[in-house]
Amino acid sequence: MSAVSSLTLKAWYRLRGTWRELRRQSLFKTVFIALFVAAMEIGLFILFLSGFRFLGRIGPLVVSSLLSLFFLGLGGMLVLSGILTSYATVFRSRDLPFLLVRPYSISHIVVVKFLESCVLSSWAFFFVVLPFIGAYAWYQHLSLLFAVWTLFFSIPFVVLCSGIGTLVAILFVRWSPSGYLLRALVVAVLLALTTVMAITAHETRHADNPNVFILSSRLIPGLHLASSPLQPGWWAAEGITSFGRGSWGRGIFLLVFLSSNALMMIMLVELAGRWTFFNGWQKVIGATGRIVLRKPLVQWLERGLFFLPHDVRAIVVKDVRTFLRDPMQWSQFLIFFGLLGLYFSSLRSFRYDEQIPQWKTVIAFLNIFSVSTVLCSLASRFVYPQVSLEGQSFWILGLSPTTMGRILLTKFGLALAGMTVISLSLMLLSTRMLRLSVDVQVAAVVLAVCLSIAVSGMSTGLGAIFLDLKERNPASIVSGFGGTLNLVLSLCFMLLTVLPFAILSHMRVTERIDGSHFRPGFVLALIWLAALTAVAAVVPLLLGRRSLMSRDY
Amino acid sequence: MIKLEDLSKRFGDFYAVRDLSLEITTGEIFCFLGPNGAGKTTTLKMLTGLLAPTAGRMSVAGIDVRAHPLEVKKIIGYIPDTPFLYERLTPVEFFRFTGDLYDIPRSHVEREMESSFAMFALDQHRHVLISDLSHGMRQRLAYCCTFLHSPKALFIDEPLVGLDPHSIKMIKNLLIEKAGAGTTIFLTTHILALAEDIAHRIGIISGGRLVAVGTMNQLNEQSGVDGNLEEVFLSLTRPATTGTHPSHPNT
Repeated sequence: MSAVSSLTLKAWYRLRGTWRELRRQSLFKTVFIALFVAAMEIGLFILFLSGFRFLGRIGPLVVSSLLSLFFLGLGGMLVLSGILTSYATVFRSRDLPFLLVRPYSISHIVVVKFLESCVLSSWAFFFVVLPFIGAYAWYQHLSLLFAVWTLFFSIPFVVLCSGIGTLVAILFVRWSPSGYLLRALVVAVLLALTTVMAITAHETRHADNPNVFILSSRLIPGLHLASSPLQPGWWAAEGITSFGRGSWGRGIFLLVFLSSNALMMIMLVELAGRWTFFNGWQKVIGATGRIVLRKPLVQWLERGLFFLPHDVRAIVVKDVRTFLRDPMQWSQFLIFFGLLGLYFSSLRSFRYDEQIPQWKTVIAFLNIFSVSTVLCSLASRFVYPQVSLEGQSFWILGLSPTTMGRILLTKFGLALAGMTVISLSLMLLSTRMLRLSVDVQVAAVVLAVCLSIAVSGMSTGLGAIFLDLKERNPASIVSGFGGTLNLVLSLCFMLLTVLPFAILSHMRVTERIDGSHFRPGFVLALIWLAALTAVAAVVPLLLGRRSLMSRDY
Repeated sequence: MIKLEDLSKRFGDFYAVRDLSLEITTGEIFCFLGPNGAGKTTTLKMLTGLLAPTAGRMSVAGIDVRAHPLEVKKIIGYIPDTPFLYERLTPVEFFRFTGDLYDIPRSHVEREMESSFAMFALDQHRHVLISDLSHGMRQRLAYCCTFLHSPKALFIDEPLVGLDPHSIKMIKNLLIEKAGAGTTIFLTTHILALAEDIAHRIGIISGGRLVAVGTMNQLNEQSGVDGNLEEVFLSLTRPATTGTHPSHPNT
């Protein structure tokens, strides 16, 4: 049996085991979660549909290019995700030494690990694609088969984009510089990115065209690139719409074209695996035994936390150290902020202060939604797995004279501190850049604080409930059942709390309600926000504590 | 010092440990033997509070493990067979982390670190990430950290796994010395020679039940075998090793 088939069989057994595990869960829980996921998908569907209707009013060209833009954006994300996931899956996999001493060829092992990383890095892709395509088909009056065509195109598209990521990871690990040279390279790349963003922001600020269509085109920086027939996103988008229009020949041509490119990518990964993987892996495993320099930042933090109880301080400092020494963690953290930088660089192009009041409200709350969505993703990616990342070392905490509740509260506190700083900074920066009114700025800040409390509590609590101490790869922990549920619930919380404020403000601006109705409505929205925040933070934490206490270690 | 009364642990329909009663006195080295899946590690985990028993009571220094887990955790130490430590910390950081968890003054921690690292030959590796240490070094680091808070009772699962002959000799001497100073030691092992060398009493568990307990002479009497520990062990655990007691994945 070849490596690919036997390892695929292993993956199948694992999948079957997960399915059995799921069936052992209570029916109520499964139905509850399924309903939530369905509600979330429907919510996203409505959101996308409203977006299409809105953009349709601006111009049909924008809508027709939107599918290409969507695939271009997701493709970029998949490449980035592929780079990071591949490093963990291809080079840091625990079963690698076991596999390498079996009679399997290295290139086959690399291909299997690449396919594994494809699955891990693309689950969110399908979660977003489904409602987007549904809304697009609905808006364009296309048949339901449109979803099937999308699936046909999505699979080779995912393989192609993740493949680029894997290739970059394999080649980078093999040929990348190390030590000071690597640090200099990272600083140079960051400086270059900052310069590009600053120049883009400057140009956008000085652009002088009031036309809404052109302005909107500026808001979507990739529209031109998205329409290029040289990029895979266009092949997928054009192929899907060709099938939708009944242009079968063109559709099949593009499907075959995309699939052949995906297959070629697998071949390239196989070749890279054959030629460079082993040396790269040697480099990875050879980079051991180095003396770790003490970081003044952590020492300063340790001293600064003198007021905390000894055990809490120990866990906090340990977690910060672990995070800073885990390239998988902080590199993804940096990417998050890189994407945010892109978002902020285009904020001034909204020319908020020149808009009519209705637009002002829409832009202000779209900004709050965007920043809140980023915070939810951030919590799902970094806060949710933090208890699971204790891993098999959890016995150390379990055995120490501290309680599970205290451990969980420490994790919550650490997450809350980080999330509050990030959310407040993002909200204040974005609202200042948009020159929003003081009222909206205050509402945004209150929402940011509540969101930080809620998603920190929810992610920490659910992370404890769906604890996975055997998995060391954060991407796998997050992509599990609990991680998905956490993301869905966080987004639901965000929608449920931001929407009342958005609706109220919009009704006030469009004069559907007057000031006498607005004020009590605003107070009610605040009470609703406070109540929901308390429930969203406290209930998962209590359930998480109970789960940790009743668990066998 | 350590008392177990009718202790049982069930995983589904499977009893990993059944009606286990035992008493171990202060300063005693008690060695727990048994075939794979007999329930040794399950017993250790229950005694350290990592696993909740299905039935029965257990206490350390007169303190009920279930009722007052924190009090018990302050006076015990546990070394698992595979010491999973925080891989992205260095031995120095891990040692200090352990000290903070047990609220030990930093000056004492620093003093202990110097002597322990010298004793366990970890000096050269004090600033290397734990992920880069060999299994034996991790095991030695686990010993260093476990002794830091001077536990009254020590639970060790397979104490000699992955250690070189020098370390084995040192650990054996250290355990004898600690027991002499009043530390109660409860250890499990498959190395029968270790039990013969250092144990004051030996307990043999098979299929979750304690089948014999006592000194070497008492075991000879109980088993009716006039031979060494290997012969006694094999005669007492034969049904289990031939498959009549299937083990559970959790044991």
